[in-house]
Amino acid sequence: MLKYTIKKLLMMIPMLLIISALIFFGMQATGIDPVNYLASPDMAANPELMEQLRESMGLNDPIIVQYFRWLGQMLTGNFGTSLSTGTPIASIIANYLPATLILSTIALILSTILGIALGIISAVRQNGIIDYIGRILAVLGQAVPQFIIGMILLAVFSVQLGWLPSSGRYSANAANPTIDAIQHLILPVIAVTISMCAVLVRYTRNSMLDIMNSDYIRLARSKGIPEWKVYIKHGFRNALRPVLVILVSRISLLFSGSVVVENVFAWPGVGAELTDAVVAGDYTVVMVLALVIAASVLVASFLLDIITALLDPRVRANL
Amino acid sequence: MSEKNVILKVRNLSTSFVSDGREVRIVKNVSFDVKRGKTLAIVGESGCGKSVTMNSILRLLGRNAKVTADKIDFYEKMPDGDMKIHHINEFKKPNGKEMNFLRGQKISMVFQDPMSSLDPVYRVGDQVMEGLREHCKISKKEARERTLEIFKKLGIPDPEKRMNCYPYEFSGGMKQRVVIAIAIICNPDLIICDEPTTALDVTIQAQIMDILQDLQDTLGISIVMITHNMGLVAQMASEVCVMYMGRIVEKGAAEDIFDHPCHPYTQALLKSVPVLGMSGEKELATIPGATPNPAELKDGCEFADRCSYCTEACRSGEIPVYEISAGHTVRCIRAGQQEVTS
Repeated sequence: MLKYTIKKLLMMIPMLLIISALIFFGMQATGIDPVNYLASPDMAANPELMEQLRESMGLNDPIIVQYFRWLGQMLTGNFGTSLSTGTPIASIIANYLPATLILSTIALILSTILGIALGIISAVRQNGIIDYIGRILAVLGQAVPQFIIGMILLAVFSVQLGWLPSSGRYSANAANPTIDAIQHLILPVIAVTISMCAVLVRYTRNSMLDIMNSDYIRLARSKGIPEWKVYIKHGFRNALRPVLVILVSRISLLFSGSVVVENVFAWPGVGAELTDAVVAGDYTVVMVLALVIAASVLVASFLLDIITALLDPRVRANL
Repeated sequence: MSEKNVILKVRNLSTSFVSDGREVRIVKNVSFDVKRGKTLAIVGESGCGKSVTMNSILRLLGRNAKVTADKIDFYEKMPDGDMKIHHINEFKKPNGKEMNFLRGQKISMVFQDPMSSLDPVYRVGDQVMEGLREHCKISKKEARERTLEIFKKLGIPDPEKRMNCYPYEFSGGMKQRVVIAIAIICNPDLIICDEPTTALDVTIQAQIMDILQDLQDTLGISIVMITHNMGLVAQMASEVCVMYMGRIVEKGAAEDIFDHPCHPYTQALLKSVPVLGMSGEKELATIPGATPNPAELKDGCEFADRCSYCTEACRSGEIPVYEISAGHTVRCIRAGQQEVTS
């Protein structure tokens, strides 16, 4: 198991290198010339000065050299600065990541608890009332795009009823900052939770139903153990594996955030910032954010491998 | 027959499955007794309702099954010698407390397919102990010792090490031993074996049967053996029920069934058994036709279409059951005619 873990950890290094190359060369292929952002209109008229600027920034070096220079900077924690605003990218991340983290973490926890619970109850009481409600919610949550859910929530609770704020993380002059922050969180959290929950309910329910029809469940029942033990020990433990794949793959959402929801609610998170950077052609920011998100996906899949091995002896045996 | 000798009494058990809004009857008005310390064999071809009958008794069928019965009585022998009767057909919940009291502890089941019957994510030792710890409330250490004992008895080599293995590390024969260990760990009074050796090769079959026979001899357990292996029936059973399309067509002591089979289906079934030393030219008898679809059954005898004695009378109305000698019953109008003529 230790060997397996180390192997999986080491595997992440070449993967990260490949991804970084894809990001770097991909951005190069867009043909954005960073010099255009830096130069004032007067300067842009003077090709000689522009050329000098290019030379000083190393943009005339071979592309491979540029790539390794960029990679070296990334590895030493020097993320560079935003082309459009000149802010250090490190501080951009420090600014936007906490907002994304708090929104995604709460939504992830809520949707996991709700989704799995609803999925299990739906399976246990198949064709019961909760099952029907769960199934309808699951289909709606998957079929209706997040931004529509977000806009409906905004229209009802913010515009019509005026109960909750419509955008941002804080109000400028709130009497109680904590309550104010929570009020700002509620709608975006609900929007993300609903769509995350929907997939999970369906997966948990189907996986559970599948397992509950298997021979070893019948054998477990024939032992005379209480029904809840059959469901939890033999049913859920086996049904958990496919569900876990979804759950762990969502860990990367903690860092990337939900692009759509963050935009709808003007939530100052990584997702919203990434959209802004793409629109503005601010490619240094796009590259760093893409790399951070890719790294989080890698970490998530690493965790998934480890957890699957812990849960299933058959996987463990083949390590 | 005195009540004391009966462990399970089933009267008019019927099971139907609902699919696509239609109810299909799979088991029809089945009645039989299992005698204490004896083996009852239930024989018949695939799909005739043998397994469904037994799963109905333990209430292990899925939600789309409907089980009705006048009586499913289990006679529990109390320490003082009295009998306590459990009316299984009156239990409200199929997986409720009353049923779980009997399952594993009083009645246990050996399933057909050892490959898929064990939970893949738990060690086999833990799976064997699970029922024991549920019913007997003993410490983990004691439970381990009991399991170890059973593993030794069942001929599992290196039991101490094998207890900590997972099912995928076991061969089919070893898995079936584990399934049997699960069934016998609580010393049940009745074991229902649902084709316990179908998935295994012949040498392992013999070993498993020896184990079951030995358990009956030493502990006096009663066995219901579902099988289509007539050799096995001759070897183990004291009574036999022959099922065809969800009905018991013939029932009686093993000698009666083998020596005087009365139902054309039983006769055909016995003729289709290969015998060692049979001449090469002699062709093995087969039963013509195939089993009808249970959803499209007509009136009268279910076997009529495949029966060489079939007459007009076989195709209509309810076929009566005749008792042709003590305890030997047959559901065939020919038996009635013979009775009149003799």
